[in-house]
Amino acid sequence: MNDLIAALAVARKDFLQELRSRATTVATLFFSGITLVMMAFGLGRDPDLMASAAPGVLWVALAFAGVISSAQSFQADLEEGALEQLLLLPVSRAAVYLGKLLASWLYLSVLGIIMLPVAFALYGASAPAETWWVLVLTVILGGLGFAVIATFYAGLTANLQAREALLPVLMFPVIVPVMLGAVRATESALLGGADIGLAASWLQLLAGFDLVYLVVCSSIFHFVVDD
Amino acid sequence: MTNATSGAKRPAWLTVFGVFSLVLFGYGMYSALVVSPPDRNQGDLIRVMYAHVPVAWLGFAAVAASAVWGMLYLWRGRAVDDVRAQANAEAGLLFSALTIFGGMTYSKPTLNTFWTWDAKLTLTALMLALIVGYFIVRGLIEEPQRRARVSAVVMIIVLASLPFNYLAAEWFRTLHPAKSVNLDGSGVSMDPVMLRVLLINVAAAAAVFIYFVSERIRIGRLALTRGQMADAAQTASQQGGREVVSVR
Repeated sequence: MNDLIAALAVARKDFLQELRSRATTVATLFFSGITLVMMAFGLGRDPDLMASAAPGVLWVALAFAGVISSAQSFQADLEEGALEQLLLLPVSRAAVYLGKLLASWLYLSVLGIIMLPVAFALYGASAPAETWWVLVLTVILGGLGFAVIATFYAGLTANLQAREALLPVLMFPVIVPVMLGAVRATESALLGGADIGLAASWLQLLAGFDLVYLVVCSSIFHFVVDD
Repeated sequence: MTNATSGAKRPAWLTVFGVFSLVLFGYGMYSALVVSPPDRNQGDLIRVMYAHVPVAWLGFAAVAASAVWGMLYLWRGRAVDDVRAQANAEAGLLFSALTIFGGMTYSKPTLNTFWTWDAKLTLTALMLALIVGYFIVRGLIEEPQRRARVSAVVMIIVLASLPFNYLAAEWFRTLHPAKSVNLDGSGVSMDPVMLRVLLINVAAAAAVFIYFVSERIRIGRLALTRGQMADAAQTASQQGGREVVSVR
């Protein structure tokens, strides 16, 4: 119970901090936007190709945004020794991890829901109206998968040199299944109709991933932050 | 630490085992190149398989072993377990790199392309990237205990990622998840001679692997002892000098 309150307090702190500074929000929002534009220039001008590439490009942009936001979240805590203070709390390390994860998840989900229509508009893709819940669920479950791994590795690399370059190297090979599941579920939603059943099985993959890594990461997080 | 000179002496069994591995490896090569009949479809190219498959299996075994030693380190906190985890990880790096190299040489003549996004090869490539990440992390942490702890955690994540990445690599080229999983390899029937040759080569590769890892652990333990002696000497000289300073 104590841990739950602590986790919520940590999440609230991260969220308030972001709400007040807005540094990461501005950076990641425009970063994902500009990634979408750059990828469009990279892919050429075939409209069909662009429409079919939309889900993949969207999730690549979100993956990079996830790296930046979670690295930034620990970076902010590292300044003024706030992370050490946080670890002095008489609660389990898992609570601190879950708190930061919660903030990161919420953040990525909001970012994903904002970027979804932007990507579809830029790439000329459109989804049937009745599949909106598949898209939202994909963003929520995919965002959780990214956040679980990104928060864990951001904590692990917080004290290391070259962490900005190191973080994607460490986390991208792990989030390959999330990437695949999220992209395929988004594709199924775009097609609509009978493909909704396919989306459900990809969402199951995402949920399974999220659950397993949530347990694994929160149970071994204390090894990476303890001194 | 108490008996530093005995650790420096090379145990006799290691040399014997090294020679044994070499002989077994030679016998495996002979079986693969001479004894084994050519394959019905692939002809002599099947002989690449005898080198490729054992190496691939051992790459995965190495990661599992490294993760297990890492868990033991987290549990018991003995520095030697980290040495063992590192030795296995290094062997895993070598064997998975060889797996990718072997897989590419194998698929060029058979499938006429170097890279096919084959599930097992893709999985190995992801694993190789993760092991490289493990060594980058190791290289960036100075303090031995923290390095051992954090790298053990990284290796546990590498092990946990394997089943998910396998499913992802398997489903990457298919439309529907859960359709093409065929883990038991049913439908594959192998000539008894070929199976025997394969098993000999698995044994040979395993012997070479164990020899490499044992040798690496021996060197790692020497380095560990030397580091501890240096620490002790430093403490002693500081105590003998002005004041008591505790190291670490």
